Amino acid sequence: MNLFSWLGRKKYSHTTKSKPDHPLPPSARSEPISLSLEHNLHKLGDLFTDTPDMIIRTLVLPDTGEQAALVYLEGLSDKNAINNNVIKPIAGGIGSIESASVTVGRVGRLREWGPITNAILKGSSVLFIDGRTDAILLGTEGWPQRAIEDPQLETSLKGAHQGFIESSGQNIALLRRYLPHQELKIREHQVGRRGDTRVSIIYIADVTNPEVLKELEDRIRHLDVDVIINTGELAELIEDNPYSPFPQLLLTERPDTAASQLVQGRIVVLVDRSPSVIVGPATFVSFFQSVDDYSTRWSIATFIRMLRFFAFFVAICLPAFYIAVSSYNFELIPVKLLLTIGEYRGSVPFSPFIEAIFMEITLEMMREAGVRLPAPVGQTVGIVGGIVIGQAIVQAGLISNIMVIVVSFTAIASFILPNYDFVAGVRIIRFLMMIAASFFGLFGIVVGLMTLTGHLISLESLGTPFGSPFAPMRWSDWKDTFVRAPLWKMIKRPVSTKALQSIRQGDNKHKGEGS
Amino acid sequence: MKKYKLNEITMMQYIMFNSGMAVSFAFIDIPTIMANKAGTDGWIPILIGGLVTMLASVIIIQLMKRYPDGTLFDLLTHYVGRWAGITVAAIFTIYFLLFSYVGIVYTVRLIKGRLLIETPAILILVMLMIPTYTIARSGLRIIGRYAEFVVFISLYIPFIYIYTYKNMHPLFLLPILKDGWQPVLSAVPSTFFGYIGFVSSIILYPFLKNKKQASAAILISNGLTMLAYLFITLVCFVSLSPDESMKIHQPTIYVLKSIELSFIEQVEGLFIAFYTFIFSMSWIPTLFMMAFSFTWIIRKQDHRPTLRAVIALIVVSMLFFFPTYDQLLTLIKLSSLLVAMKCVSNWKRY
Repeated sequence: MNLFSWLGRKKYSHTTKSKPDHPLPPSARSEPISLSLEHNLHKLGDLFTDTPDMIIRTLVLPDTGEQAALVYLEGLSDKNAINNNVIKPIAGGIGSIESASVTVGRVGRLREWGPITNAILKGSSVLFIDGRTDAILLGTEGWPQRAIEDPQLETSLKGAHQGFIESSGQNIALLRRYLPHQELKIREHQVGRRGDTRVSIIYIADVTNPEVLKELEDRIRHLDVDVIINTGELAELIEDNPYSPFPQLLLTERPDTAASQLVQGRIVVLVDRSPSVIVGPATFVSFFQSVDDYSTRWSIATFIRMLRFFAFFVAICLPAFYIAVSSYNFELIPVKLLLTIGEYRGSVPFSPFIEAIFMEITLEMMREAGVRLPAPVGQTVGIVGGIVIGQAIVQAGLISNIMVIVVSFTAIASFILPNYDFVAGVRIIRFLMMIAASFFGLFGIVVGLMTLTGHLISLESLGTPFGSPFAPMRWSDWKDTFVRAPLWKMIKRPVSTKALQSIRQGDNKHKGEGS
Repeated sequence: MKKYKLNEITMMQYIMFNSGMAVSFAFIDIPTIMANKAGTDGWIPILIGGLVTMLASVIIIQLMKRYPDGTLFDLLTHYVGRWAGITVAAIFTIYFLLFSYVGIVYTVRLIKGRLLIETPAILILVMLMIPTYTIARSGLRIIGRYAEFVVFISLYIPFIYIYTYKNMHPLFLLPILKDGWQPVLSAVPSTFFGYIGFVSSIILYPFLKNKKQASAAILISNGLTMLAYLFITLVCFVSLSPDESMKIHQPTIYVLKSIELSFIEQVEGLFIAFYTFIFSMSWIPTLFMMAFSFTWIIRKQDHRPTLRAVIALIVVSMLFFFPTYDQLLTLIKLSSLLVAMKCVSNWKRY
């Protein structure tokens, strides 16, 4: 017996080992439908066993007296459209079906069982008519969907209050509203053997670099999965380095962010049934930018940018720095502060590392609890956490006051960063830093930073360097990093996207500018 | 015939690569060495040494222009024969191995001596090898980016030294040339160990994206190196009295003791820890180039197996032998000798 067989999933005799496949075998997919309606309905019954939501409405065409049957899945189809635009005109009986009577936008003809089953499963209705070798496809899709709301994850003060929703058709519409231009192109792919998810790649043809586009398209085309439920799954499958704690593709729920990234030369990938979209190629700096930066005054946006970069280092290093300073490098801190720390630390029975790990894990648990709990219960977490982390734990002499301050400062710093996925990576790094600091003090932190730097600069996003514009150094891209330069100064698109058309605007210098 | 197209580096990366490699640990020791050889005139040999190196490197670049898409080894194989290529590649392998070994051990010594006195040296070494492997395995482009980044974030260093202005006494430098040219000229050869990083420019030449900038790049890079040395030597000479300069070990760090800030008691420890970034420039690129030369000899593409083996070797060797600073300086002189040998042998061939 193989030594590592326990690692694999247990196999049971009744499960099939074959890969997930289309519900119909290849031979049946191209099988044409029969002339006889009765035969067709019988076949349909064979194909869709245990499908109580399937409706078969039989009709008689009044003009010709032909027998017909309308087939659709209840719930996936728009009942109003079927009743008013299909059944009613057919029963009224004026003219031929395709040309006049059916008042549905999308109409087609299907001859084979494969496309017919697909169409029914996706919400279209199919009309079989006795004595004909083709069935009529009627676009009557209408599934439950929510209204367009404010994006949950990325709130913004001044940006638009429309977020992407779960239908890619609507999402494309949201993007087209920002960029009504014929160069905005969409390429569609079907991904997943069971899910058959529609993945749309959106780009501006005369701006986006075709090599990057090809890279992305190849990766999507080679996927062989069951189904893609959420955009995050797709991102993980096509990322350059899935072992990194940092995301290399930007996920956003905001149409305005996606549109602004499109004009910078990036590519947007929409996944049907998922409210977030992938933006790539991303750089390290992408995760520090927020859509509000561009609509607040540039000097203030610059200040906030710098605050975010500072917060990034605080979130990574501060607990580690506390450990280093209080267990190795005492000489760094002024004597007065050292005495204060010593006074509080005196009554604490644990080493700074245990203290810090304990507090950080408590904080992480509280954060996770707050995310998963329903809103009314969620408040309890805040109260309990406030009391425990706040005062009681210090009075009980378990944790020093300074540590509480350090942890709260770290928490606030990590909440400043606008991207959720990126912050998740930062949290993991923080723990590694704390371990390094507990063994090697300040030197451990520096080696940790070195490894982090090495890792970040060797990452790539769709084949373009992730560390840009810092490493490789691209000065012209610095206008949108630590500083958010005035909009009329950002004449070029970022170099990191390898955009074909590099100039994005003309001379917009203010007329009033003392000339 | 663009063999190394995928690994191109920009001019900026080329400059930072060479300067970063050259400056690294020589920055700590050069003031003492100069003070011992030439007294307070020690900064003059640095200038002369820098100019000589610039000249030498420009000559080398001119030679490399004859065969722009191959390394020096390819060039030699092309003109002289495969064995000439292998010999030179072997010399380079040994040279880079020695250089990186000295760099690593020097750093471990310094960290152990000043920051982590109780920690076993082997642990510090293993810790340093983590980022080393992360960066060096990814190839030249990544190392180029790293070099750029390191030099960039180290721009704070001059400002720290300027902060010691209160203790500076420019009069220490006077009179200039008080003992004549003799001691100054005799000190010039010992500056070469600080400039020796320029040999990397030979290996890197075929990777440079725009070959026309090579001469300018090498001049800028050597100029930067020279400026760094000149700066630190002058700072040490004006901060310490002529007698102190000769006696104090690693004056570059000692000078920082005079700084007092309200929020940091001693800048020194922080400085040493963050200087590890610059130190790393002395062994990460060199280890890569060592592996590169070696894989050229054995005609393989992937440099990573060699890299892993050498890293393991260095770690194991540390268990048995932990050289002192003096032994390290002897080693680096030995490697300089190797380069000199190589230069002479090349000269004969042309």
